[in-house]
Amino acid sequence: MTKTGQEIGEQQRVDNPEPRTFASVLRSHQSMVFSIAYHFLRDRPAAEEVAQDVFLQLHKRFEEFESDAHIAFWLRKVAGHRSIDYVRKRKSQAAVDIDDVPVPSVDGEPEDHFLNRRLRLLIGSLPEKPRMVMILRYQEDMRPEEIASAMDMPVRTVKSHLQRSLAMLREKIDRSMGDVR
Amino acid sequence: MMDDFEKQLQEALSRKEPSPFFEARVLGAVKRQARERRASMRMWWATAVAAVLIVVAVSVWQHQRNEQAREEATGREAKARLELALKITSVKLQKISQKVEGI
Amino acid sequence: MKFAIPVLLGILPLAGQDIKMPANLDRLEAKASEVVNVQLDGALIQLASRFLSDKDPDEANVKRLVGGLKGIYVKSFEFDERDQYNKSDVEELRAQLRAPAWARIVGASSKKKGENSEVYLKTEGGQITGLAVIVTDPKELTIINIVGSIRPEDIRDLGGHMGIPKIDIGPDKKDKKDKDKEDDK
Repeated sequence: MTKTGQEIGEQQRVDNPEPRTFASVLRSHQSMVFSIAYHFLRDRPAAEEVAQDVFLQLHKRFEEFESDAHIAFWLRKVAGHRSIDYVRKRKSQAAVDIDDVPVPSVDGEPEDHFLNRRLRLLIGSLPEKPRMVMILRYQEDMRPEEIASAMDMPVRTVKSHLQRSLAMLREKIDRSMGDVR
Repeated sequence: MMDDFEKQLQEALSRKEPSPFFEARVLGAVKRQARERRASMRMWWATAVAAVLIVVAVSVWQHQRNEQAREEATGREAKARLELALKITSVKLQKISQKVEGI
Repeated sequence: MKFAIPVLLGILPLAGQDIKMPANLDRLEAKASEVVNVQLDGALIQLASRFLSDKDPDEANVKRLVGGLKGIYVKSFEFDERDQYNKSDVEELRAQLRAPAWARIVGASSKKKGENSEVYLKTEGGQITGLAVIVTDPKELTIINIVGSIRPEDIRDLGGHMGIPKIDIGPDKKDKKDKDKEDDK
């Protein structure tokens, strides 16, 4: 059974409690921040660039944080915003129609199977805000209220994005599975 | 409670690791940032000190100029008074001489 | 001859004066049609001197004349009406000039016109250290005190220079004077 990102992070903290230094926070949370950016941007170098910016910002205000939970929430929030800003600045992220993409080539994760890749592509085709909502929900296992706070949007908007995105993804996966069969 | 599709989504969106050098790159960038901030602070202080020195120098210069102008004004006024005093004295002495020599 | 006389108020103490101006004189300002009040101590004279040009012969001469002075004090009142001041005011002044150091070198008066002019010199150790001039007529009172080494004729001879009028001696009086001199030979 796959653990969610949040579960992994919490387990790490229980197993390896260490004094809170910037280096230790970086080590604990780099995959979380990177993954948010990576799943959003679908571009490794860009995701590392965004993740680095997030951690540099964290370093400037490191003394202000009172708890690990505070840091984790802040990192998710800023990673989300920074990723969206990156796309807007670049203006090169085009919505990808699943029917037009023959074979996904970005991932290259050997253990991934076809469905996961398809799902990631589909998520990547969502508009920016619904895309980030989905990532925070299913990568970070955040509740709609937490997502709403991180993304500065009403809870009902978060729920609406989740509902519509899920419906769209289900429909497209069913369609592509139907095609395969 | 998530259904199978949502669990599949969780699996698809499982966390990935950045490159092995990511951590070192971030720590290097943090050091550079701290260095730049210190240099920037030093520059800021140097600029602030220079600005204060300039303000002080200008104030001193202006004060001296004002003092000079005040002294000049006082001097010119004193000169005018001196000339008036000498004029009155000279005229009186001339008239006295005139009277004396006319006797 | 009336001068264009601004009212100049001295701002420095009168410690440098040889003679003390009677306090009563101050009340004459209210009655006078024209008032001159010049009070220059040594420091002010030196300051004024710095603004006298060395290149202008007249100013250079004045600079030399006032170089050693410690004070110049002039009080002059002109009245529209006669007898606006008391003779006792002037007497107080004359009393001071009867001190041993002072000597009256010139006195000229006209009972007909009611005019009186006096020049006093102060000497110490054979050196002139002060000059006082008192001029009175029914409508004028002028008191001059110069502290320091000065010759009256040097100031008198400024007439015709630096805007100071030269009072010409009349031809008749001049001939008589010259004639008297020749007779003496």
